[in-house]
Amino acid sequence: MSEARIRRATLAILRLAQPRARWFLPGLAAGVASAVCAVALLATSAWLITRAAEQPPILYLSMAVVGVRAFALGRSAFRYLDRLTSHDAAFRQLSLLRVGVFSRIVPLAPAGLADTGRGELLSRLVRDVDALQDLPLRVVQPLATAGIVAAVSVIGVWSVQPLAGLTLLLSLVVAGLLGTLGSGLLAARAERELAPLRGSLTGQVLEVVENLDVLTAFGALPARLAAVRRADELLRRATLRRSLGVGVQGAVLSLFAGVATVAALVAGIPVLAGPAFAVIVLVPMAVFEVFGAVPAALGAWREVRSSAERVATAVPAEVPGEIPVEIPDQIHVDRPAARNGATVLELTDLGASWPGADAPAVTGVSLRLAPGDRVHLAGPSGSGKTTLAQTLVRFLDYSGSYTLGGVEARLLPQTEVRSVVGLCEQRPWLFDDSIRQNLLFARDTATDEDLLAVIDRVGLAEWATARGGLDARVGERGALVSGGQAQRIALARALLADFPVLVVDEPTANVDEEQGDRLVRDILTTAAEDGRAVLLISHTSVPDALITARVTLGG
Amino acid sequence: MRPLDPRLLRYASAARWFLLVGAVLGLAQTLVVVAFAWLLSQTISLAVLGRDPAELAPTIGALAAVIVARAVLVWLLEVAASRGAASVKSQLRARVLERLAERGPDWLAARQSAGVATLVGQGLDALDNYFARYLPQLLLAGIATPILVLVMLWQDLPSGITVIVVLPFIPLFMVLIGQATQAVQRAQWDALQRLGVGFLDLVGGLATLKIFGRESRQSDRLRAITEDYRGRTMKVLRVSFLSGFVLELGASLSVALVAVSVGLRLVDGSLQLGVGLFVLLLAPEAFLPVRQVGAQFHAAADGLAVAEDVFAILDAEPGGFGTTVASAPDPATIAATAALRFDRVSVRRPAAVPGPELSAVFPPGRLTVIRGASGAGKSTLIAALQGFVPFDGTISLGECTVTAGTPRPWLAWAGQRPGLLAGTIADNIALGESAADPALVRLSLRDAGAGDLDPETRLGVNGDGLSGGQAQRVAAARAIYRTRLHGCNVLVLDEPSSALDPEAEGHLVSGLRRLAAEGHIVIVVSHRPVLQGAADQVVDLGEAAHV
Repeated sequence: MSEARIRRATLAILRLAQPRARWFLPGLAAGVASAVCAVALLATSAWLITRAAEQPPILYLSMAVVGVRAFALGRSAFRYLDRLTSHDAAFRQLSLLRVGVFSRIVPLAPAGLADTGRGELLSRLVRDVDALQDLPLRVVQPLATAGIVAAVSVIGVWSVQPLAGLTLLLSLVVAGLLGTLGSGLLAARAERELAPLRGSLTGQVLEVVENLDVLTAFGALPARLAAVRRADELLRRATLRRSLGVGVQGAVLSLFAGVATVAALVAGIPVLAGPAFAVIVLVPMAVFEVFGAVPAALGAWREVRSSAERVATAVPAEVPGEIPVEIPDQIHVDRPAARNGATVLELTDLGASWPGADAPAVTGVSLRLAPGDRVHLAGPSGSGKTTLAQTLVRFLDYSGSYTLGGVEARLLPQTEVRSVVGLCEQRPWLFDDSIRQNLLFARDTATDEDLLAVIDRVGLAEWATARGGLDARVGERGALVSGGQAQRIALARALLADFPVLVVDEPTANVDEEQGDRLVRDILTTAAEDGRAVLLISHTSVPDALITARVTLGG
Repeated sequence: MRPLDPRLLRYASAARWFLLVGAVLGLAQTLVVVAFAWLLSQTISLAVLGRDPAELAPTIGALAAVIVARAVLVWLLEVAASRGAASVKSQLRARVLERLAERGPDWLAARQSAGVATLVGQGLDALDNYFARYLPQLLLAGIATPILVLVMLWQDLPSGITVIVVLPFIPLFMVLIGQATQAVQRAQWDALQRLGVGFLDLVGGLATLKIFGRESRQSDRLRAITEDYRGRTMKVLRVSFLSGFVLELGASLSVALVAVSVGLRLVDGSLQLGVGLFVLLLAPEAFLPVRQVGAQFHAAADGLAVAEDVFAILDAEPGGFGTTVASAPDPATIAATAALRFDRVSVRRPAAVPGPELSAVFPPGRLTVIRGASGAGKSTLIAALQGFVPFDGTISLGECTVTAGTPRPWLAWAGQRPGLLAGTIADNIALGESAADPALVRLSLRDAGAGDLDPETRLGVNGDGLSGGQAQRVAAARAIYRTRLHGCNVLVLDEPSSALDPEAEGHLVSGLRRLAAEGHIVIVVSHRPVLQGAADQVVDLGEAAHV
């Protein structure tokens, strides 16, 4: 993607993260009220004390006494209100944000998310989306509050003594510019130097820890640890060199808070006397305390922006060419062949590529799958077996010809193709829910009897009973289920959905060999019982008796 | 939660250094705060009393100097925190890695290596905020608050007492609210956890949902999950934000109380304006560090959680073997004709069914296949041979008895997981050697059935760039290279052909036969009929199959 396009896409994501005014403004109003109370508390206290020193009748002070107490209460009460309403708004927006990103993912998944397909990167994407709720909470609101309170205070001081108002304004502007731009530059320069060092160290640590057995066995551990120490030392030295820039922001704010105070003193002494003077001298301190939230907000902004960038890059707004899109005027041919069990799937010189790849992952595949056929598709690793499986369920687009019941698949709605051709994935996803829910979405009208029957057919009856029946949970990402059991659950789903054509992609990839043979046998015999056509993709050999034909992809 | 874990000081000397420097800077900062408040209140009161501006010039000058000093101290404290964090991270990282090297792979495997790697890599960065935002405030709360309270007591007793009375309420209420929050959180915890991962679950399972034509309805489900999440989280937040409320209220109320009481005493002339302003300025400063400590609770919790994880590794008991190096057989002293013997070897596993007992002889010049049902403990026995786990029984090579935890210069091994590193294929094959011998690399690749791979091909992290089968063959080639280069007596391959097509497997089998013919003890763990057919002997391991 070009830089301008990434920027546009990032902006679109950020817009999605900012709550609408109706939700956002109450929080902001409470936040501003709290900050104004904080400034007013100090101003009123200063006024009260200096006025009292003039020893007026005590009645003259009663308003100020009430004000001081009210502002003290208001400051904390409004703050509490602010945090509640603004968090609530951020959470409301999170729902829209997640749904918005999700609906962009739907047409892409899974092939268009190839880069994020690995579990860790996927959770990174999800974390990034959730981190975007910091935009209203930690970026927009603190900045808006600081800006508004600063403006109100400058106007207030100005109305008492224009010169002091002007010096306060200048101090705020200069501190803001120096503290943000200046330290932003320093931080960016430091980051440019540190990021590659940090990345290299993290990579080396990961390599050592994950391969501790190999490194120990080959006597390579001491050398690797020494390399990690060297990388660590480089990073540490660079961090120390850069550390002088770290505290600049806080120091600048502290310095200019003082400058504003002294300036107000100098400006006020000749012309003002009494309470008003004390007020304009002390208000700058309180304003700068509110203004102190700006650096943190800018730090949060940098993080939010990179999260948004990562989301925008991982989930492009435009679907890449290799991913099939629904054509609006799809030909809804009448499809007698689709559901009546006589579907023939035919591939002629089929090829397919992954988004971003230079060369097609698979080319020149021709095969025919009629009801009752059980075809074993073999081929060395890297020959495009999984690519073919993803193409058959229209996760990837194709070149050449792929017909279902004589109709080109490209012309059919994707959902229609997938109602005919089912896929048991290499790593079937199990939802963190009960066994029942993990089956039911394949056919939501199924009764418990149906579910138990299909569990029995795939050989899981004993296992499910031992677990406590359909209500047993499968754990997060199927953590409580072994690779073989997951495959059987996937098969059970496919049987429930009753696909006329079933593609099974490497069912034994995560199963040890002995169980694998039994699993393949069970899948082939069970799946074929209803005259279903089965395409078994597997690099291991399959007994002749179980299949009707073999196809081998080139190496 | 303890705000500062003493183990941090024990394991990272840089933390001790930081505390010392931080305390000195904190003390200086406190003095500057007092000086600033005093000079400012003096200037204001003198000006209000109508003194000649020229007379005030020295005070204002001093004030300006104090302001500069304050900014410098703020800067220094942050610099110290950043340097301290960098050094502490380095020290902890080095210690953890040393500990891992000492304790060995089996010990690590029991602790989920991915988590450990993240912890040592980026996880430690959580200490940055702990050092930058939390610890300095904690120091100030310990140093500045008492000093400021003392100054207030000295200058104006009633104001000092007001602050002393209000201060203890803050921790008291925070503890009470903290307990209430915990109770609410406990009740919601499971639901929150589940709803928290709900989004990940949906995105991850999207391909599956699409296969079954369910993708279109998921937006509603996602909305419902997130709304439910919002409702429950807000319930928790309503309570936990109360602690922030108490902090703010304590601080601002005491300012208000001081202001009003000072004001009333000024009216009757029992107090001077300068003193009144002075205590008014000090009152919020006394609360500031306490408020900051509360506000940086998350920085503290994250940092301490990471430190806790690190200490858990550093303090852990050695799970496997100690670090004692017993007599390690030197390959030079072992005759090439020595056989490897397992005599009633079984692996000790705490809290697990004892593994099978193996007694077998692996003679040189023979290809032996070990087979057994999955879960029978084949790989664990190999780990015992490698010295990664403690075992009962005796393993001996020729005349030498092999003990756990000693180096194995006579052994070459390739595990089930290829375990390739970033670098060229040749670098990977010559792992642990200072330079690669190109001819031997090619020969080893050929014997592993990977003669088609170019040794100069560059691999990414984790051997990225190779298919599963190719990676497996490179890992086998690496073990073969070591066998040939060092004349290792024993070559062990664990499931070397599980991802290989029949042709590659055939090449591997002939390579292994060649190595056996050269007089090495070749041991292969495998189910594959082809390998079992090519073996000189097959050892069956335990019937205790777990499915």
